[in-house]
Amino acid sequence: MLAVANLPNTTTTTAATTKDESQEQTESFNNEDFPDLLESIDFGDLFAGINDGDMLPDLEMDPEILADFSVSGSGSESEMNISVSNEKVEDNPRKDEEDKVSGSGSGLDSSLSTRGEEIVSKRDESVVVNRVSKESDKGRKSTQAKNNQGKRKVKVDWTPELHRRFVQAVEQLGVDKAVPSRILELMGIDCLTRHNIASHLQKYRSHRKHLLAREAEAATWSHRRQMYGAAGGGGKRDMSPWHAPTMGFPPITPMHHHHFRPLHVWGHPPMEQPLMQMWPKHPAHSPSPPPPTWPPPPPPPAFDPSYWHHHNQQRVPNGLISGTPCFPQPLAPARFATPPVTGIPHHAMYKVDPGMAVPTRQLASSGPHPLFDFHPSKESIDAAIGDVLSKPWLPLPLGLAPPSLDSVLGELQRQGVAKVPPTSV
Amino acid sequence: MGDSSASYIHMVHHLIEECIVFNMGKEECMEALSKHANIKPVITSTVWNELEKENKEFFEAYTKKRRGEKVREMETRHEIQGVIADSSNSNTSADH
Repeated sequence: MLAVANLPNTTTTTAATTKDESQEQTESFNNEDFPDLLESIDFGDLFAGINDGDMLPDLEMDPEILADFSVSGSGSESEMNISVSNEKVEDNPRKDEEDKVSGSGSGLDSSLSTRGEEIVSKRDESVVVNRVSKESDKGRKSTQAKNNQGKRKVKVDWTPELHRRFVQAVEQLGVDKAVPSRILELMGIDCLTRHNIASHLQKYRSHRKHLLAREAEAATWSHRRQMYGAAGGGGKRDMSPWHAPTMGFPPITPMHHHHFRPLHVWGHPPMEQPLMQMWPKHPAHSPSPPPPTWPPPPPPPAFDPSYWHHHNQQRVPNGLISGTPCFPQPLAPARFATPPVTGIPHHAMYKVDPGMAVPTRQLASSGPHPLFDFHPSKESIDAAIGDVLSKPWLPLPLGLAPPSLDSVLGELQRQGVAKVPPTSV
Repeated sequence: MGDSSASYIHMVHHLIEECIVFNMGKEECMEALSKHANIKPVITSTVWNELEKENKEFFEAYTKKRRGEKVREMETRHEIQGVIADSSNSNTSADH
């Protein structure tokens, strides 16, 4: 009202008094109303909330992290990065939760994803976005180096070498009995925290189960096949010599998965972009109690990118971090998820009845296990390949002795391939 | 960087192992890796050869097995063809 009344007065500016009045009024309006507004905003409160939340603590960390990262340089040794960032982590008491989170992921996706989750739930999206873009920049080993802005997620870079040591330690202790603290001792690497190990262990165990299941299937199939083959072909074949050479085969478990195998035509679960796979942890899927599988998750909060090359979507380490209240996972039945049955093989390549004695050409192409499948399907191969590409730390299925690096590189040079990996494909 | 070469080679090694799990031969492997993972066939081939050197026994057994399986496959196919031919013969005779 006043304002309205004032307007005409001010505009017209007739009487000084009126004008003054109006001015006063406006001024008073200004003085009184605005100040009210200003006063009504209690900036202390505004920030107070933030203080209480987790934001500040993390923000405080950032400069330190940044400093650390700049010290470590970009793309320098991953170990160095690990140590640097880990030290940071360890020094900071608050880091507990970070620690857990980073432990879960160790290098791979889970840490990033968990971290991502955490961030999402606690911070604002800009942070997440930041992280995401940072993550996506990461190449194979430079995850840590580039992790500058990211919120201090200490990621362990699980190189094949590191993983090998891990596996050695675990096997020494016994997979089921391996305790992170002992593993840590055996590995003797300072840069790793118990949490890193714990989460990696979980993943490893879950993966092993899949492998075991797969190998078991394979063995069983090939066995059966031989039986059929023998019946049909005169039985002159010997039992698969396959077992001999493959040192990597884990002990064969009884065919508990068998019964449903033949009947299901399992398409590939959602993930058809193996190259884009990440590794999501997907707890819900495998009916088997075990923890999250390695499988790549689906779409959603694509967080952290690829540890090695491709974009990793969110690694929801659900449960990766033992005991840590994890993050909501957007899991999705991805690769590993397969059918309700068991977390079986991560390739979901079991298509048609492998029990058939006749290896039909394209029909049954993707038998469960290539052992007796002469014509593996493109999808299953693609899936397997994608798996390797996205999870380089996975153990080798056969465990063959690695080729001599020098010979390989030497030979390649002779053939005209100067750089490995080649920049031009 | 030496380090990335090592990881790359390791990756190729891993991929080859996966192909072997799929019962693929060297050529099939080269093709698959080139198609699905963009790996130059020459690289796949080189790593395969080196792997073979390091794991002679394995590869010998593997090759033998594959050859055997191929034979079996052909035999089986032959059998099927026989079965089909037989059944069509009997069908036609039944018609008469």
